Order: sequence, then structure tokens, then C-alpha cells
Amino acid sequence: MKSIKVALAGNPNVGKTSLLNHIAGTSLKVGNWPGVTVEKREGKVKFWDYEINLVDLPGIYTLEPISEDEWIAYNYIRQEKPDLILNIIETPNMERDLLLTVELLEHEVPLIIVLNMIDEAQKLGIEVNDRWLSELLGVRVLKTNGRTGEGVKALLPNIVEVFNSKEKPKSLRYSKELEELLEKVREKGDETKAELIRKLLYREDLKELRENLKRVFGKEVHELIKDERYAKAHGLYKEVVSKKPLTARDITDSLDKVLLHPTFGIPIFFLLMFLLFKLSFDFSKPFMDWVDGFINDFVAPLVSLLISSLGAGDWVQRLFSEAVVGGVGFVLTFVPLIAVIYFLLALMEFSGYLPRVAFLMDRLMHRLGLHGKSLVPLLLGFGCNVPAIVATRALETKRDKLLVIAMIPFMSCPARLVVFSFFAVLFFKNPAIIIFFLYLLGILIAFLTAFSLRKTIFRGNIYHFVMELPPYRLPTLRLLFKVVWVYVRDFLYRAGTLIFAASVFIWLLLNIPPGVKNPSESIAGYVGKAIAPLFKPLGLEDWRIATSLIPAFLAREIVLSSMGTIYSAEVDKEEKEFSFSEALREQVYGLGKALKDAVLNTFKPVPSAFEVEEEGTDSLRALVSQSLSPASALAFMVFLLLYTSCLGTVAIMWKEVGRRFAIVFLAYSLLLGWLLGTLAYRIGGVLWNT
Amino acid sequence: MNLEEVKPGQEVTILGLSGKEEVLEKVKAMGLRRGRRVSLLQRVGRNLLLKVDNSRIVISRDLAKGIEVQ
Repeated sequence: MKSIKVALAGNPNVGKTSLLNHIAGTSLKVGNWPGVTVEKREGKVKFWDYEINLVDLPGIYTLEPISEDEWIAYNYIRQEKPDLILNIIETPNMERDLLLTVELLEHEVPLIIVLNMIDEAQKLGIEVNDRWLSELLGVRVLKTNGRTGEGVKALLPNIVEVFNSKEKPKSLRYSKELEELLEKVREKGDETKAELIRKLLYREDLKELRENLKRVFGKEVHELIKDERYAKAHGLYKEVVSKKPLTARDITDSLDKVLLHPTFGIPIFFLLMFLLFKLSFDFSKPFMDWVDGFINDFVAPLVSLLISSLGAGDWVQRLFSEAVVGGVGFVLTFVPLIAVIYFLLALMEFSGYLPRVAFLMDRLMHRLGLHGKSLVPLLLGFGCNVPAIVATRALETKRDKLLVIAMIPFMSCPARLVVFSFFAVLFFKNPAIIIFFLYLLGILIAFLTAFSLRKTIFRGNIYHFVMELPPYRLPTLRLLFKVVWVYVRDFLYRAGTLIFAASVFIWLLLNIPPGVKNPSESIAGYVGKAIAPLFKPLGLEDWRIATSLIPAFLAREIVLSSMGTIYSAEVDKEEKEFSFSEALREQVYGLGKALKDAVLNTFKPVPSAFEVEEEGTDSLRALVSQSLSPASALAFMVFLLLYTSCLGTVAIMWKEVGRRFAIVFLAYSLLLGWLLGTLAYRIGGVLWNT
Repeated sequence: MNLEEVKPGQEVTILGLSGKEEVLEKVKAMGLRRGRRVSLLQRVGRNLLLKVDNSRIVISRDLAKGIEVQ
């Protein structure tokens, strides 16, 4: 099987990643934010007798790179030398996009032009003579609609055919003067136009020639070449594009009049954010309850029935009910919440609203000494800190990038929310207010951190604001579900591996030495008791809480699975009658009810997710509520909010910025979490009089 | 006049760009070049929202000051 290396190149927002999604069928992340594909994304597809490896390059306007993601694309084309380039063009903006096409053609690599968003172009009255374009450049030209996937099927056979026939584009001809000049610097017969131009522009020994040319033409050589490229792109555009005057009103302009309104734009943004969080809680709550019931009342008794019928030992039974159900099962309950949050964040991203937030909020951010574009990684941080840190690559200056990376870990992610919603519902009458306060506290700390960094280490001015706003697009549900599935799959994977391992590990520590009757006399008990004094100022003397914090460094939600394991080791199990068919019927009925409640909740004006329910029968909840007070529960949440208790975040910081930054930041967050946790305990103690 | 002085809703032609910043190359590649028609859609804070062809581009005022228009 032969392999073909294909690079997808194009301007930002032309739909490269969407196309890749359609071709390779892999669940890649696609967004409207210019530069969301900062990482090299790859898709692999087998077609005929070939393995086609597609690489999605970051969006660039020109092959003269400035920001980091532009360098990535530039270096890939120069150094990795793809077998073929798919040059994706956003047809409504063809004149602009053709500049990159011209620059790509200079590299003399086999190329296929893909006219994407052809539907949007037609609506605007733009007609492209694709045959003529193909003839002029000597390349194949295909038309696609990246949103629906129309026309995508034709890409693969064309890639293989071009690869086999080694079809090279026609040599690009600039003006006679420039062509002669380039021939003059040619040393080998096979040098590409791109190489000749590079030589002419940068080689030391040609300095004199450049000086001479400047005198003759009255401008710098690089200006001369740039003008030629623009002229070429403009000429091509004039040749192949015809425009019919259309008076169709643009939906994007109308929407922008409201959403980007100088006065109302910002309040609308806050309202949308409120709705986003209200919806995520209200819609997912009934499903979370259902999953909880499904695991505890259906899966658990079923498997335990199975284990006892197999005649396995008592310890297997206990490992299952304490580590698997108590630990992993408990964390799984939160899958619906995570799925809904990601769905809504993805909707915001793909619809084109997210980049507008950067523009809108630059006004506020600017006053706080931050670039408006910084807000997008920060918002993504509410989804997951790790991709948010990766997304900072789209920021132009290192200063902005470092400032934002130091803020992102304080943006509360769903993993933290999982912990908050457990404790807040358990200890407080108005859990919504507590959770809202925690989110705000995180944001406040993030800005204070940035503020102090700006006054000390990262001085300097805020960079210019330059960015493109894509048109509003309604993403297909299929696309959104694909994106959500990537995150949910990742979460499930972690539940099955990392969280499972941590739960079993904790369970083992709780049961060593063998035959230990009281968990507090086990190894886990001793370790917990040894570190518990450190947490005494936060009101967390209980060894079980301290112990659960150790494995939680891997990921915060492990705090709950560990507690689940520790506490359920103490619970006396009651035997219940279990009838398979009846239990199954109950589960199906329960799912229907959850669906109904979710829809009903969505339309309630006030968040209903946190209406307190009496869950007295739940032994874990009862045990935890005995060992903590409201004040110490608050301290615990504050501590976990601020301390970067997440291996993934620390690792990505290490990779993106460096070891020193990652370690210093971890220590800073730990100290901050401890100090503010202590403060929260004191304040809580006064407020709730404990 | 320069682009910073244009009023919302007004359409102008670019006469030239001046300034030393690297970012100007990007601005040009995004379509803000001599001879192109640009209309100002909105001003928000330190930024201007422009329409060039079918794309919407945001640039900050300090950059707009260096763009001569008519």
C-alpha cells in the first residue's frame, strides 16, 4: 500500500477542518475561531490501494508568517514537503484567498484547488469559472460545501490521480523583469520559484544586487515581489470570477447589528453566558439522576448477582461494590452534565459568536490590560483547561500568551463543577449561589494574577487587534455531536483507566494490611492522618478527606471517586431483592421521565437544578455530611478550585511554557488555594456559626 | 483623511498604508490594500469593524490611523 501525504492549506475559517472531518470521518475539532487548529491535526483514510494521510495546517493569509500558528503552517510546507497540497478557498472571499494560492504555487508542489462554501458564494451572486481557472493554473479545481459535505467525495479519487500522474501546476509567470531577475540567481536547474525568491530576498552575497534593484525600481525588492503576487492574484480573480449584483440582505450584518451593538452587545453576552450555564445544569440534572439510579439500582445488583453466582470470593464482591460502583460509577453520573456543557460551548464556537466575543470584550479587557483575543482561550477554559492553554498559540505576542496561560487554570472546568455540585447541594440551602460565587472567585483570582504579573514581570503594551470575523453559520447537529463525543469519549476513557486505577489503588491501601477491620487503621488511614494536620486550618481534619486529595492530583473528579471508595468501605451493605425484568422496566421508564423533566426544566425561567432534594437514604452523602461542616466544605471547594489539581493542565503548561513556569505556578496555586481556603473557613465559621 | 476618521456606514477607497509594524503585512494579506473599497460597520472600544469584499475585519484604531483613505 502506498501512502500519500496531503496538506490542507488555506486562510483561517475557510472550513479546512470541517472538510477533513467529512473526508476522514475522524472526530476532529472544528471551529470558527481563527486559529483554533493551532495543533497539527491529522486524518488517515484508506482509499483504493492507498493510505492517504491528511494534515490540517493552521489557517494563514500569507506564507510570510508572524504568529506562532502561521509559522507552523509555513514550516510544514517548506520542510516536510507534502506530496500534494489541497488549497482550500473560501469562495465568497476568493480574491483575498488567491494570494495564498499564488504563494503555494511558487513551491511547485502538486496542488488541487478546492472551492469551498460554494453555496454561500452563490447566494452572494458570485460565479466562478472553474474550468478556466483550472486551465490557467494547470491544476484541478473542485467545488465543495464544507457544512453539508457536498462534493467532498470527489476529493479522494482526484488526490490519487494527481499523485499518480505527478501532475504539476503550470509554472507561474510573473512580469518579464522579475522572471529575468529570478533566472539570474538560479544555480541549479531544479530550483523552485519559491527557492529562487528566497535567495533573491535574503542571501548575503546578493545584497549589492538588491541595492541596485532598489535604485532601478524605486522600491525594496520584497515590496516588488509582493506587488507582483498581489497583481497575479488580482488578475486571476478578474479572469475567473463574475459577480451578479444581488440585493439579498446579509443575515450576518443584521445579527451583528444586535449582537455587536456598542451598548447592548456586552449585556447580551452576559445574558447568553447565564443561559449557557443555566441550560447545562437544568437540562442535564434529570439525566444525572437517571444515570445514578441506573448504576446503583440496576448495574450494581446485576453484576453482584453475577459475581456471587460465579462463586467468586468475598473480596471480589467488595472490590466491585466499593471501588468500581462507589468510585468509577459515581464519577460516571456526571457524564450528562459534561456532554451538555461541551455541546453548548461548541455551538457558540461553530456559530461564529465566539470570535465576536473577543472583539466585543476587548473594550473591557483592554482596560484590564489584556488583549480582547485573550478572552477566547479563557472561555474555552470553562470547558477544559488543557485545550484552552493550547489555544493561546493564536495570540500574537509571548507576553499575552503567558499572561493568559497564568489565568486559565482558575477558570472552573466541569471536573471542578462535578465536585462543587456534590458538596454545594449537600451543605447549602442555595447551592446555585455558592457555585456561582466559586466561579466568580476563580475569575477574580485569574485577573488579580494577571494584574500582578503585568505590574512586575510582563510589562509592555497591548498588541494591536487584527482579526477576521467569520459569517454566522448554523452548524449541523452531526458536527456538534461529533465534537461532544470526542470529549465524552475522553472522559469515559479516563473513567475506565485513570479513575479506575486510582479507585482500585485507594481501595487496596484501605485494605492493607489484610484483614484490617477499621479503615482508619489501614495504610490509607495512616497516610491521611499524617497529612491531615496540614489541612487543619481549612477545617479538614478528617483523614478521609485528606487521603482523597492525594490521588486527586491526577484529575479533580478523582476526589469524589476516592471518597466514594473510602466511605463505602465503611458502609454496611443491606441485601435487597433484585428482579432483572422489573429493574429493567423501571430503568426504561426512568429514562423517559428524565427526558421529559429535562425539556421542562429548559423552559423554566429560574435555574431549578439546585432545588434541594432530601437524599437521606444515600449513605455516602450522609457520611460525608457528618464529617464536614458547611464552612469546611466551602474551604474544601475553594482549595480545589484554585489549586491546579490536574496532571493534564500541569503537563500542557510544562510543554507550552517550560518546566520552571509549570512548577512555580503549581506551587503558587497550591499556596493560594490553602490561604484562601483557610480564609473561607474562617468567614464561613462566622457566617454559619460553627 | 485616515481610516480612523471615517464614520460608521461610510465607504471609502484605500490610498495607502504606512507604518513599520510587521502586522501590516497580515493586514494587507487580509485584503486591506491600496485601491480596495472598505466600509466601516462599527466602532467598539479601541477597534473598528470593517467590511472588505465579503469578509469582516477588525483592526485597532492605532493601525487605522496609518491607513490613508478617500
